This record gives sequence, structure tokens and C-alpha cells, in this order.
Amino acid sequence: MIRSIGKTVFTAAAVAALLSAPAWLAPPAAADETCMSPYMAKITGQEDFVYVWTLGANGIGDESDKLVTIDVRPGSASYGKVVASLSVGGQNEAHHSGFTDDRRYLWAAGLDTSKIFIFDVHSDPAKPRLHKTIDDFVSKSGGVVGPHTTYALPGRMMITGLSNDKDHGGRTALVEYTNEGELVATHWMPTKDDPRGAEVGKVADGYGYDIRALPRRNVMITSSFTGWSNYMMDFGKMLADGEAMKRFGQTVAIWDLHTRQPRKVLDVPGAPLEIRFAWGPNHNYAFTTTALTSKIWLIHEDAKGEWQAEAVADVGDPSKIPLPVDISISYDDTELWVDSFMDGTVRVYDITDPFAPKEKYKKVIGKQLNMLSSSWDNKRKYFTSSLLARWDKRGDDNEQYFKAFDWNGSELVHKFSIDFTAEKLGRPHQMRFGAYSLYGKRADLPTKAEPVHHAAAKIE
Amino acid sequence: MRRLAPAVTATLFGILLGGPALAGDVDQRALDRVKAPPLGLPPVAIPAGDPVTAEKIALGRKLFFDRRLSHNGTISCAMCHVPEQGFTVNELATAVGIEGRTVRRNAPTVLNAGYQRSMFHDGRDTSLETQVLAPLVDRNEMGNPSLGYVIAVIKGLSDYAGRFEKAFGQPAAVAPLGRAIAAWERTLLAANSPFDRWHFGGDASAVSDAVKRGYALFSGKAGCTVCHTVEDDHALFTDHQFHATGIGYRNAYATSPDDPVRIQVAPGKYIVVKRRDLGPISEPPPADVGRYEVTLDPEDRWKYKTPSLRNVALTAPYMHDGSLATLRDVVTFYNVGGIPHPGLSPVIRPLGLSHAEIGDIVAFLESLTAGNIVELVNDARSIKVGNVGD
Repeated sequence: MIRSIGKTVFTAAAVAALLSAPAWLAPPAAADETCMSPYMAKITGQEDFVYVWTLGANGIGDESDKLVTIDVRPGSASYGKVVASLSVGGQNEAHHSGFTDDRRYLWAAGLDTSKIFIFDVHSDPAKPRLHKTIDDFVSKSGGVVGPHTTYALPGRMMITGLSNDKDHGGRTALVEYTNEGELVATHWMPTKDDPRGAEVGKVADGYGYDIRALPRRNVMITSSFTGWSNYMMDFGKMLADGEAMKRFGQTVAIWDLHTRQPRKVLDVPGAPLEIRFAWGPNHNYAFTTTALTSKIWLIHEDAKGEWQAEAVADVGDPSKIPLPVDISISYDDTELWVDSFMDGTVRVYDITDPFAPKEKYKKVIGKQLNMLSSSWDNKRKYFTSSLLARWDKRGDDNEQYFKAFDWNGSELVHKFSIDFTAEKLGRPHQMRFGAYSLYGKRADLPTKAEPVHHAAAKIE
Repeated sequence: MRRLAPAVTATLFGILLGGPALAGDVDQRALDRVKAPPLGLPPVAIPAGDPVTAEKIALGRKLFFDRRLSHNGTISCAMCHVPEQGFTVNELATAVGIEGRTVRRNAPTVLNAGYQRSMFHDGRDTSLETQVLAPLVDRNEMGNPSLGYVIAVIKGLSDYAGRFEKAFGQPAAVAPLGRAIAAWERTLLAANSPFDRWHFGGDASAVSDAVKRGYALFSGKAGCTVCHTVEDDHALFTDHQFHATGIGYRNAYATSPDDPVRIQVAPGKYIVVKRRDLGPISEPPPADVGRYEVTLDPEDRWKYKTPSLRNVALTAPYMHDGSLATLRDVVTFYNVGGIPHPGLSPVIRPLGLSHAEIGDIVAFLESLTAGNIVELVNDARSIKVGNVGD
């Protein structure tokens, strides 16, 4: 049963205000990812569900990509269980997802087919349903392939591409849609040939990956990965292919948030991936990690107002290519969490001094590790295993899991795990949180776990 | 030289930024090329009863660039034959197919494909018309469940309405599908290179002295023309035969888990691992026995077709598996006599070339880039890439 409890939503601006408030005003007892768009509504209270955008895997269940919903409400009879599974059809290289600013819809993209599945998560947060599918992204965008990050701006979704339809290489664009799913514009990444007004460093590869915004500095930042041919192919084959390995991103681009114009291209070699801005009101910096060179980079605004990039720490032993993939920053800007794929390890860095991160904790989560989601209060951590369909490990090392831990400030305490192979679901990738409170609702906790129906998505 | 020279690249971009030429003009120029091939090429053999027409060329080009013709709408012929990359792919040693599946071999260029007597590195097909159909239904390439399925897809696309009828006088079907793509590919005649203008045109200023020295070595001391043949009035630089260089043999037998693999992690920065380290993140490498897979004759194990050398500076990386990155690497490979093994082609032997002589041969090879390559890229890009939702 769902009841109305009034809307208790606040935004990042409110969060920033709280953080700058007197010490007696503790950080909110809120729960949410710390990597979300600052334009997005935040949740008060415990997150209710984790939505896991999951790749279909051959020989596993229906082999289809699907949105899997996991109940994480303490006290629920279905706590730690899958409560919904919604198959969208095909293997689209399900990868990242993101909410609209009103947090009513989840846009989940496929890096291969370039389809974007828009799920309604507000009508029944326990059971998302497919609202709309964008299957003409490449055609409408003018040739952008591989929608990756779906990032909320006011009334808009800014989508990073990874590739293009001319050569399946890394040159790509940002593609802007309305929340309703109508194309607004395609903003091509700056290149050496066409810098589009940006100041360019050693290179301007025109590659894309992640995007984040810092509205109070009118800044948007993008990172750079690689094109379709590389992210789709067998990982070992690619590493041994000298030509393929020349085609990885070497840049972070600084954009004017309001005009969508690139301002500067910074040299960040080694494939910079996820971007996380600090939350403090005077913290004008973001972190990223380079997957191939295993470094933490600080992207910061200097005293002259110029944005700079600086490698500030190694992740593990770079000579063993641990491959840092996902990162998460704590609400108070004191911890940076870094997942690395090859060694299956999460490392926690003290970033009190952002120019000198210090590793203070590490733990092996599994034989492979990819995504990480943190509650806003830094107390709950969720992990998934899959990187890309053909980059995941083979044989016994191919563990596919969702794992939940509590973080007590000094160690991770295991709460529960779900084996996505045993449950015949597939390869779990990115996680996003859902909660009834976002929509002025509250549901009674179930007293009995119901069996999961592996539903087929149908637009209603 | 592995990529387009900067000057060529700039020219390409300059022309392309100016927008595609009018479709009719492009088709007419393509027809003109077939009627009068550029300097250095012989006449093009046109299948009896199937003349090349503007309608067939235009339809073939459209089909070639249409990603909707793969099972999930992601791969067109052009994704592995990229115009700006020598109508092959410079960015991969071996091709990547639908859903990222592994294709065993380096994508060959489509330039001058109309002169090939057999198709694919192993020569398993005999005409362009049938060759172009194979990738459509190859599970690892475009992945369609059947040719009938492809025809049904085409018939369902409104922008193809009437196109087959106009070009072939019949609705879309398997045979005209192959004939259309073959018709366009036959127009991709790429010659009138600096070498052609010198060697066949008599313009002594068309090439440098290094090129002339290189050609003398190529056709003399190094003996390259035994396989990469040159005729009196034209040159295709291929004997159309199959030879074992040892690379296929090495891939089958002469690798070790302890072999070093040098991985570039950033420009100028490498990490060396052992082959075994890649095991947990690699599918088992597919076997490749070359021409033997067609003939089942053990004498043909690890033999591959002699490629043309025209436009070779644009088509890196080299060899059937893309294992050699530069033209200097290739000449050096032959200079040491390939990889000795029982099936090694008898014409491959240590050449005794000096470092300078290798440089001269490379200069000669670089002189084989067609003078009309920009026109061909422009022709290719005169059509919009076909995508779902068009």
C-alpha cells in the first residue's frame, strides 16, 4: 500500500547550504548517490530500491538486457532480493543510466545499438515500467554512436556519445534532449581540426565518455574513452592490438555550461573516465581516474580562474594495469572511492588535501569489479561486477554479482550479495537509487517475499 | 607512413567540409572512371549482360553505407572499409563485427577490388557479386539470420522504394543486391599515382630519386615483382596467387604463453605483460589456416593471397592479420626472409637490403598512392550513412 507523506525533496543547492552551515547542523540523514546531477531532487531517508541496468548474457535466462530492481529497505521481507526484472529485448550493451532532473524517469542507454530506454520510476518505484524507447538516436543526432552518460540539466538530458557512424572510432559529441525525449542539439567535441573556439593543449581527440556540471562556476566537464570498435571487442584482443591501443582518450574538456561551448581541452592521457565534482561550496575541483595509466587526476580551477589537470596519485600498481573504472566522492569531500576492475578491489583515498590523496583502506570485492554507488550519508555502499560484455573476465573469474556493504568509517561490513548468474539475470552494470519519498509516497514494508516475474517491457 | 599524409588529410577535410558533390555528378564521374580507368590500371572487366549504370552505382553506394543492413542496425560494409582510412580500417589489426565479435583477419581495401580474381584473403569466393553477400550473413560480421531476411528488411525501408526496379527492372532480391554493391565497388579505381605518372606517363619529375632507386630494388635485387607483378602498360602489383610468409604458421604454432605483449597505455608509455596474463580476459584465439580452409590441401596451409600494393601507404596495418604496423616493418620482415617453416614460399629469402635500401623501397611504396583518392573519398561520402529511424 502506498500513502502520501508530502514531498521531502531538496536539491544540491540545499545540500551545499547545509554543508556550509554551522557544525551543529549535521549532514542530512539523507541517502542518495553522491555523483548525481546537482539539478536533481535528493532523497531524505533510506533509499528503497536499487535499479541495476543489466546486460543480457548468452546462455543466461532470456539473454536480454533488463532493468533489475533490488529491495534495500531494512526490515522488508524482500530486503536483499530482486523484486522486479524488466527485459527490453536484445543485447544493446546496456551501460549507464541517469534520471531526469525531476527524477521521474530513468534514461538507460545501450552503447552498441544506441537505443535509449526511458523507464517510468515514479508511478510505482518498486516496479519500473518502460515509458518510451528512443531508437533513432544515431539518425537524429547526425551520426553520434554509443550514448553513455545521461545527465540531468534543467528540463534537459545531456547525453555523451562514445563514437560515430562514419568509422566507429572515438570522435563523438554531446547530444541534448528535452526530458520528453525530443532532440535539442548535437554539440560535437572539440578537435584539433575543429576546436570550436576552445583552447587546445597537446591534443584534442574529440572523444567522449562522462559529463558533470558545476553550475556556480558555469562549467561542464567531459572525459574521453574510446570508440565502438574498441569498447565492443574482446578485451585481450584489443590490448594486444597496437593500432587499437593508440585510440584511447587523452583529454578532459572544459565547457561553458550555459552556452554549451567548449572552452579548453586539457591533456589527461590514459583514458579518463568518470568525473566527480566536489560538493563543498568553495571546492572548485573534480576528480577523474585514467583507466589505462591507473592514476587519479585532479581537475581544478586555479587562482587565476583557469582550469587545470594534474595527476595526484596512483591507483595500486599501475604496471599491473588494475584498471580503475568507477569512482565516488563522499558528501563531505573527504573520501574518494575507486573501484578497479582487474584486481576486483575498492580503494578509499583520504582527499582532505585534494592534491595529495592518500590510500587509507582497500578491500577485494570480487574477482572483477566495476560500478560503485554510495548513499549520501556515506554509510551504505553497493557494488556490481560487469564492465563491458567482451571485457568481462572469462571462465571462473567471470563473477557477476550485486553486493551491498555498510561502511562504518574504517571497514566495509558485508550485508548481502545477489549472484546475477545464478538468478539468471545477466551482467549487472550501473546502479541508481529509487525511493517512494521522492514522489510524496510511502509504502508499507512487505511481510512476505513475492516471486519475481521476469517481465517483458511494453510501452503502455 | 601509416596514415594519410597531413597534406592529403587536409585536402580531404577541405573538400568534405565543402559538402558532398551533387549525386548525379558523382555517379557520372564514377561511370567515367570505369570507362577510362586512371593511368596505370588496365580496363575493368564488366560481367556480360550487366553493364554498369548510374542507377546501379548509386544504389550500390547507398547499400554499402547502410548500417540498417546488419541484424541490429549497427554495421554497414563501410564500418570495416572506411573511405578516409584507405577503404579499410587503420585503427584495428583485425576487424570487429556485430556485437563486437571477433573477425579473424585484417579488412582488405575495397580500392581496385574490381580487378581481383578471387575474393577474401583466402580466395574463397570468385566474384564481387557473391563476395559482397557473405559478410551480410556471416555471424561475426553483420550477423543477419539469412539473405532472405536482408531482402525483407530492404523492402521494408521506404527510401529504397523503386530503387531496385529502376536499376535492375525487378524488385529487391539477392542477385541484384550483390550486383548493385559490386557495381559501385568496380568504380573505385584508384591510380594515377606519382609512380604511374613517372613509370607509365614518362614524367621524370613525378617522383623522387629515392622512389626511382626503390623501384629498381623492388623489381631487381629484392625480387618483389615476382609476386607483386608489373606489366608493360599497367600494374596491379599482384600475381593473384597464394603464398606462405610464415606469419600464419607462427600464429598457429610458434607462440608461447611467455611471449611479451607490449601494451600502449598512453602516447609513448607502454606496459609489457606476458601473453598468459591476457588469458582471463580473452576468448580463445580463432584458428586461421589460410587458403587450406578452401582447398583442404595441406600444401595450402597458412597461404594467403598476394595483395595489390596500390595505395598501400593508406592501408596500414599490414599482412592478413594486421600484425605489422608500418611499411618499413613489412620490408624489414621480407628482408630477413619471412618466418622460416616447412611451408615457406620459396620466393621468400633473405634479401640483404641495407637500411637505406629499405628506406628507398618504402619511398617507392609510398609513391603508389592514387592521385584521385580524394575524388573517391568524396564519392563515398556523397551518400548519408543509413541508420535506424531514417
